[in-house]
Amino acid sequence: MAKKILIIEDDKFLRELISRKLSGEGFDVAEAVDGEEGVKKIKEDNPDLVLLDLILPGIDGFEVLSKIKEDPKASPIPIIILSNLGQREEVEKGLKLGAIDYLIKAHFTPGEIIEKIKNILK
Amino acid sequence: MEDYLKELTETRKALLNMLEDFEEARKIAEEEKEKTRAIVVSLTDGLIVLDKGERVSLINPQGESLLGIKIKDIEGKSWKELTEKSPFKEINQLILKNKNLFREEVSLEEPKEEVLEATTVFLASRKERIIILHDISREKLIDRMKTEFLSLVAHQLRSPVSATKWTLRMLLDGDFGKITKKQREFIGKTYQVNERMINLINDLLNVTRIEEGRYLYKPTPEQLEDLVESVIKSLEEEIKKKKIKLEFKKPKEKFPPVKVDSEKIKLVIDNLLTNAIKYTPSEGEVTINLNFGKKEIEFSIKDTGIGIPKDQQEKVFSKFFRGANVMRMGIGGTGLGLFITKNIVEAHKGRIWFESKKEKGTTFHFTLPIEKL
Repeated sequence: MAKKILIIEDDKFLRELISRKLSGEGFDVAEAVDGEEGVKKIKEDNPDLVLLDLILPGIDGFEVLSKIKEDPKASPIPIIILSNLGQREEVEKGLKLGAIDYLIKAHFTPGEIIEKIKNILK
Repeated sequence: MEDYLKELTETRKALLNMLEDFEEARKIAEEEKEKTRAIVVSLTDGLIVLDKGERVSLINPQGESLLGIKIKDIEGKSWKELTEKSPFKEINQLILKNKNLFREEVSLEEPKEEVLEATTVFLASRKERIIILHDISREKLIDRMKTEFLSLVAHQLRSPVSATKWTLRMLLDGDFGKITKKQREFIGKTYQVNERMINLINDLLNVTRIEEGRYLYKPTPEQLEDLVESVIKSLEEEIKKKKIKLEFKKPKEKFPPVKVDSEKIKLVIDNLLTNAIKYTPSEGEVTINLNFGKKEIEFSIKDTGIGIPKDQQEKVFSKFFRGANVMRMGIGGTGLGLFITKNIVEAHKGRIWFESKKEKGTTFHFTLPIEKL
């Protein structure tokens, strides 16, 4: 069965690009444009992995992360932070809040992101 | 009798003259005193004078305002008594480190949040000490705003640049269909140009972090020789591609650990090694020497590259500087690497310097102090 990936990203173009790449690789892709929608979709759809941006309208990525990790049913879902913020404090904060990895968008190609996803889902 | 009278008259005249002169001198002294008082009172910097008994003998209105005190609260009090509390406590901490301060920064929270520059002058003749306080709170605020703005812009720039990177990558990977050889060539070049922009943004962010002073993260004891090895390994491809002969010389004994921000020191080694490789023609030599003494570890890297022309040498560590000879050769670079490198080394209380001869090569050195752990 195809693995389901949820992408929480407010930039339409970036969302489209990563969705396209993921679909091309055989993944089932769901999208959320802000934090609230993201939390809702994680709890309802139960994806196999989440790609989470940090800068979002409304509640930010860190809050989404906290909320999900507090929910015992959703908490085991692996969440990769995919953001262009990348100072050491932010990376540490994200990992401490329970993200399984922290990738800076500008430093990774879509192919490399897929590799990371595949490794985590193994 | 006449002579006696004459003498008396002369003496009287002399005395009256002296009295006049005294009056003149007294008036001048009064005027000088008034003038000095006017200057002291209207100075836009704070002024405190400690007499030879180390008691506050004078504080001007700006001094009162900056320190949030009134002269009647501190007049006659000893310096020792005053320095038990803020704001004098912080100022004294600076003085204890260095008797003669010149525009040393001191940050205060009480009674109000501000940053001052303190200067002390010792008047040997009267054994008085003058403390001058200059308010730079506004400059600090503007500086911080500038840095925050730069950081914000750099982060914002990453979004469109990521979109371009991903799109071009997917084009090259054939995700949008087959592309011709010519298309691949040009899309590939654009991808590289975009990568350069990503690197520039990273450098800018590093610069803002330096300016924020938050640059060194959490220093931990590290083995410098291992950090060097790891950087060499990460640059293996480039070294092989250019057929550079790389040697890493170090003593057999284990190095004493140094307390450093390992990520930042690796950045320094990476910058210096990347430069050595970049500016040395194919089949050239790069030699790294690592040594330690009682007080410090010294790293040096020697290349047989194009060198830095003498007239450009003093600008080498400045922001955005790139050598004229290098730019003519079309070698890429942002000009921020050495600026950041120097800042990291100096933030660790180390030193950095170089020797270079045009077309012969360059040797860069830096030291890191060995702290008693």
